[in-house]
Amino acid sequence: MRKLILKSGLYVFLILLGLEGLVRLFHLGKDTPTRFLDEHKVEKWVPNQNGFSVTGNRRQNFSEFRINNSGFNSYREFTPTKDNEEIALVGDSFIEGFHQNYYNSIGKKIENMLPNIEVYEYGYAGYDFADQLHLIHSYKEQFDLIDHVILGIKFSNDLTRNEYQVVAGRLALESTTNRMLKKSKLLVYCKNIGILDPPQKLMYKTLNLLRPKTTPKKLSEAEIEKTKKEKENKFLENFESLISKYGYDKNRFTLLLDAGKTSPLFMNYLKENNFTYIDFSEPFKASNRSTTLIYDRHWNNHGRELIAKEIVTYIQKKKAQ
Amino acid sequence: MLFNSLEFFLFLPVVFILYWFPFYKKIKIQNLFLLLASYVFYGLWDWRFLFLILASTLVDFFVGQVIYSSVSDKKRKTWLWVSVIFNISLLGFFKYYNFFITSWVDFLSAMGYDLQSTWTLQIILPVGISFYTFQTMSYSLDIYYKRLTPTKDFISFATFVSFFPQLVAGPIERASNLLSQITSKRVYSYTQCTDGLKLILWGLFKKVVIADSIAPIVDDIFANYSTYPASTLILGVSLFSFQVYGDFSGYSDIAIGTAKMFGIELMSNFKFPTFSRNVAEYWQRWHVSLSTWFRHYVYIPLGGSRVSKLKSVRNIIIIFLVSGFWHGANWTFIAWGVLHAILYIPVFLMGRNRIYMNNVVAENRWFPSLTEILQISLTFSLVTFSRVFFRSESITDAFAFLQQIFSNFTFETYQHPMGYRMIDYFILLVAFTCYEFRIRRDERAPFKFKSKYVRFAAYTLVILAMLLFYDDNIDRSFIYFQF
Repeated sequence: MRKLILKSGLYVFLILLGLEGLVRLFHLGKDTPTRFLDEHKVEKWVPNQNGFSVTGNRRQNFSEFRINNSGFNSYREFTPTKDNEEIALVGDSFIEGFHQNYYNSIGKKIENMLPNIEVYEYGYAGYDFADQLHLIHSYKEQFDLIDHVILGIKFSNDLTRNEYQVVAGRLALESTTNRMLKKSKLLVYCKNIGILDPPQKLMYKTLNLLRPKTTPKKLSEAEIEKTKKEKENKFLENFESLISKYGYDKNRFTLLLDAGKTSPLFMNYLKENNFTYIDFSEPFKASNRSTTLIYDRHWNNHGRELIAKEIVTYIQKKKAQ
Repeated sequence: MLFNSLEFFLFLPVVFILYWFPFYKKIKIQNLFLLLASYVFYGLWDWRFLFLILASTLVDFFVGQVIYSSVSDKKRKTWLWVSVIFNISLLGFFKYYNFFITSWVDFLSAMGYDLQSTWTLQIILPVGISFYTFQTMSYSLDIYYKRLTPTKDFISFATFVSFFPQLVAGPIERASNLLSQITSKRVYSYTQCTDGLKLILWGLFKKVVIADSIAPIVDDIFANYSTYPASTLILGVSLFSFQVYGDFSGYSDIAIGTAKMFGIELMSNFKFPTFSRNVAEYWQRWHVSLSTWFRHYVYIPLGGSRVSKLKSVRNIIIIFLVSGFWHGANWTFIAWGVLHAILYIPVFLMGRNRIYMNNVVAENRWFPSLTEILQISLTFSLVTFSRVFFRSESITDAFAFLQQIFSNFTFETYQHPMGYRMIDYFILLVAFTCYEFRIRRDERAPFKFKSKYVRFAAYTLVILAMLLFYDDNIDRSFIYFQF
């Protein structure tokens, strides 16, 4: 029996080692850049990092990222000037675009369509509207030089805060333990494909067995509707609070949103208060091809192409006025 | 509890260590522990149905004693019927009740009597009922035929009925093999344990990589068959052949491997049926424990092939009908059985049903001959064709599926429902078939390599394949649980 246990242990160890090697050899696990908090308490990536982002068990999506001097994923450096024309795209992982090659990003597509304009992509996974406005506010001098600022917004989850605060949970990913764990590509790969979910679920299930059972209160249709309205009002209040706190230049700032997934309350508010926005719901709906990746809800190349076209059309119209 | 669940991989080492350490010294205690572990294994699915297993165990334990002690043949026969009727009633109620009611109502309606059935019930099919009832019945039958002496040890007998590795989907064991091992002292063997672990690994590969990964494709094609061209439908049913093989033989390998870890040898259930050269050989290699059961307890008592040709043909038809019906309460399974009888009878009449019994394809050769390749392809195609009935929801669907193949005989590239690369699956299946061909001589030694380095590389690659094709969103239960 001792022989079995010892040999099994040895085999498990060697197999894990072999798998680690194979995962590295075939680059199945994604590279994770390091994040940090800068002097303005803006969370971003440590400048000048390179790597590959991988999605799916069998590398269904494989793309290269490059973190520039400013700490964002882009093929170019951000050097706005008074004389040149620039666009800033500010947003979350959809703008950040780790799921695409950095040299084929939305910004690059826009630049290909509008050759005399430079596009700066200030995208960072998890950024909400508070993060975005705080970034712009913190780097005011730089952003004042940029001619068009486009902010990606999802009403349902980007307006949960009325002021910016450092997201400690996200930065905890840079803890010593996490950094050590991330060194194993096999572990990163296993986590990404969901093979580590069952142990976690089992652990939660076991813990829940020890807790007293609480039955969630069933809400009536009217109560659900009321809660929804209250939530939407709260989000709207947060929007107002954020723009008053960090400033919002209606002439230069434009929101990028999917009107089909945005509350009519917010849409009406934007119209009534002359906020400009780019709505990409129509081209997405009209598209006969998928606009998202297979393993991922992020935009695929076709989706990014549509977004770029919408932005270009908007800029051209704006310039023509 | 599923073999491919995390719960099982926590359960197995705990039971294994307790079995070989604290409970090792006294066989009665060891068997009692094995029985409790088996009940926990089953009870985690639904503890209420443990009473059903217990009832079947009690009845056959008692009936076995009475048959053995009875002198008069009439009394022996009567008690045998008690066992058969009891077990068949369990099956009849839980598995076939609704089928009989609806079929009766349908029949009356076809005759012009429109009836509204209010007699169908919401019955949960207890997992493994078809397997353990057949196992307990075999005990009483063997005692009746004087092939077996009944055990007086109830715990051992209950362990034989509910032995967790094979409780829910076989292999269906006969008491002469399994019970005799349970009643005698098991000795720990390192080689047996490692052989068991290797079989578990190979079984998991077949389940996770082969069966589960192609399941979404098969489900999509069979659910939307009316919209697909012939090429896609043929692809769907061919992939289903691999799916059902990977699923069920994978389960059997895990069961046999797990039993080995407890010092118990179960019979082989699958002997590379993909490489069968005719339908008769296929049945000697596919679900062997069920075929053996029917041969011993139905076919031979009916006279087998030692009667006139006509009667033998009748016996073959009966066997395949019963086998089809055993699989499920649906006309599709009966049609599947009939189809196999039709495919088997010509082979039988030509006297070619036993010619491949003791050899494998390409015996003593590296590659099969052209004739063998043609034979294998033909057998695979015929068996795959029959699976249209096996997989379809209803007999109407099965015929519509076939009609769609012939009426829309065109080729179109198939797109995976989730958009994945189809080439991955083709490469996988070709590699799997080639590997199975390489190991075709011994179904119990999937990693038979002289070099330990090659063996180690094989383990690593098999686990890597599991990672490459793992899908958390898939229904991971085994197909044969529904039977």
